[in-house]
Amino acid sequence: MSTYDHDGPTGRPAESPAARTANGRHPVAAADALPDASKASDRTPQAPRAAEAAAETRAARAVRLVSAAALGPYQSAVVRIGFSATWLFFLLRELPNRRELYGPDGPWSWDLGNRLVSGNHAFTALLWTDSTVWFEIVYALAIVSSALLMLGWRTRTMSVVFMIGVLSLQNRSVFMGDGGDNVIHLMAIYLVFTRCAQVWSLDARRAARGVRQDRVGPVLWAVCGLGLLVGTWRTSGSGVFGGGEWWLWVVFWGMWAVQGLWWVVGRFADGDSRALLDVLGNLVHNAAMVVIMAEVCLVYATAGWYKIQGSRWQDGTALFYPLKLDYFSPWPELSSLLGTSGVIVMLLTYGTVMVQVAFPFTLFNRRVKNVLLVAMMLEHAGIAVLLGLPFFSLAMIAADAVFLPTSFLRRVGAYAGRLRPGARLPEQRRERAEQAERPRTLVG
Amino acid sequence: MGHGGANAASRGIAGLPFRFQVVAALALAVIGVIACVQIGMVFLHVAPSNTVSKEYGKAVDDWIYPEFEQNWKLFAPNPLQQNINVQARAEIKMPGGTVRTTDWIDFSAQDGAAIQHNPLPSHTEQNELRRGWDFFVGSHTDDNKPNGLRGELSEQYLRRIVMLRLGAHRDGGTVDRIQVRSMTTSVKGPSWSDEKTDTRPSYREVPWWTVTPADLPGGAGDARTEAKR
Repeated sequence: MSTYDHDGPTGRPAESPAARTANGRHPVAAADALPDASKASDRTPQAPRAAEAAAETRAARAVRLVSAAALGPYQSAVVRIGFSATWLFFLLRELPNRRELYGPDGPWSWDLGNRLVSGNHAFTALLWTDSTVWFEIVYALAIVSSALLMLGWRTRTMSVVFMIGVLSLQNRSVFMGDGGDNVIHLMAIYLVFTRCAQVWSLDARRAARGVRQDRVGPVLWAVCGLGLLVGTWRTSGSGVFGGGEWWLWVVFWGMWAVQGLWWVVGRFADGDSRALLDVLGNLVHNAAMVVIMAEVCLVYATAGWYKIQGSRWQDGTALFYPLKLDYFSPWPELSSLLGTSGVIVMLLTYGTVMVQVAFPFTLFNRRVKNVLLVAMMLEHAGIAVLLGLPFFSLAMIAADAVFLPTSFLRRVGAYAGRLRPGARLPEQRRERAEQAERPRTLVG
Repeated sequence: MGHGGANAASRGIAGLPFRFQVVAALALAVIGVIACVQIGMVFLHVAPSNTVSKEYGKAVDDWIYPEFEQNWKLFAPNPLQQNINVQARAEIKMPGGTVRTTDWIDFSAQDGAAIQHNPLPSHTEQNELRRGWDFFVGSHTDDNKPNGLRGELSEQYLRRIVMLRLGAHRDGGTVDRIQVRSMTTSVKGPSWSDEKTDTRPSYREVPWWTVTPADLPGGAGDARTEAKR
């Protein structure tokens, strides 16, 4: 054990015995680590020499924290499941309307889409050809990749295919989307960089079962390479590479190359090389999780701070008006009922602004953060019904979930595990996964 | 100590051999910078126009557009306080050569009816026409002149939305021309408020458009509400 492992003040309220081991194997949520940092900085050691040593220790500890483990395994898993499930439900719900929304002959025709995208260079595979068959293939791939990402099967690969599906459909018809689509769009990109299948996934289960000859991985990898080749060839003629979207192709090919590298290193290289790849994977994951959390904070900060400037949010009637809009009142009786009480409308109006403005700051206090998290999730559940925005609300709840405490998520996982007869607890599965020298497979 | 793999799993970069530590430290720096820039750029993108975003607006836009574009002014600064109904009427050429004009048909009301008592409203009902009209208004001057490419695109988009719902063939004839208008009605203020709201509708009428084959989306052959005769 290194000197800085347990000596430093942790000051974290113990969530569970597992969290207390704090050896990086049971990382607590990155969000939950925040109060920790703030507390640590409060403690100013008396002697200057001690301060110097403590500072060094903290820096080293921080580096170890972000490189030794992919933090927030449960949080990243719940975000993965939340967004893939939301998009999957959406695609299934719109199955009868898919051609009207994204098809080559919908109101936003292939030609209109092409003219718009040739100006902004957004990525969409649907503009490669105006064939209806191709459209159906992409829509089907989007459904399949969402389902598989939700289950955590070949998660890294599926996350890339999922992103391709989301970007292809949404960028094809930008004017069909709303805030829910917007947040799915962003998270689909960020998720690609996370190790979001450490728990609650088929990948984790496969890893727990131990080393096995992996035939699917190389096949999937080869198919993806072929698909990428075709996509690159199809795109190279259109000048898109010069239009600012080159980085997406770096991501596609980079991910593909890295998958191959993992496989080669896992099979033939020494432990040090594997450890290096592991550290790099952790660094990227942890950075992506920070970006996801910052993104959620920016969403709420923007939504809250702009509302403060509005007269209706100031006079406490803002909530009344959406309830009277025909496009946002699927249950007019319910909306009218809510709209009769001035006091309730005002409380909800002020409450909304307060919660949204306050949320980012509450991250420095676990308990207050959790209370606000519950409030926001409940509000979104209400919006789902009252304003008729179920997919927007689901997406926002999935985004909020990145801040859920590890102990709660583990309890949910354990409960869900018990629902299945003969199932092992997720923790047990996870521990087994750690014990086994994890086989590095292609597209694993 | 055996494998470096098991060692590094608990110690991170510190557990790696020196040459790999250099690689990992470099990666840490690059990844850290990219993450910080991403967060900073998104912040500048969603923040109000300010000193920094004016100075570096081009750099911010280059980074953000198109994939990281976002707008979280949800019902802000003020929620929409008007119901905007998009309506259209058509000139139908009858087989005998006569022309008849339909009444105004309220497509937003049809959307509203489809949304009502529906726990899972479709984007086709909730966003298509509503945002299509927004797009048209946002890319046109007040006297309905298109602003560049987006204006032109929005016109054809609107025509195709209307034609999908209207149907190319209607009442035994062929739709020759269409006219679109919006009817804006302010939501009456709450009962406890003494504010006076003028709830009389106001209209914005777009000139007649001649329907071309390019304005007919798939499925526009029949009227949605009436079977083809």
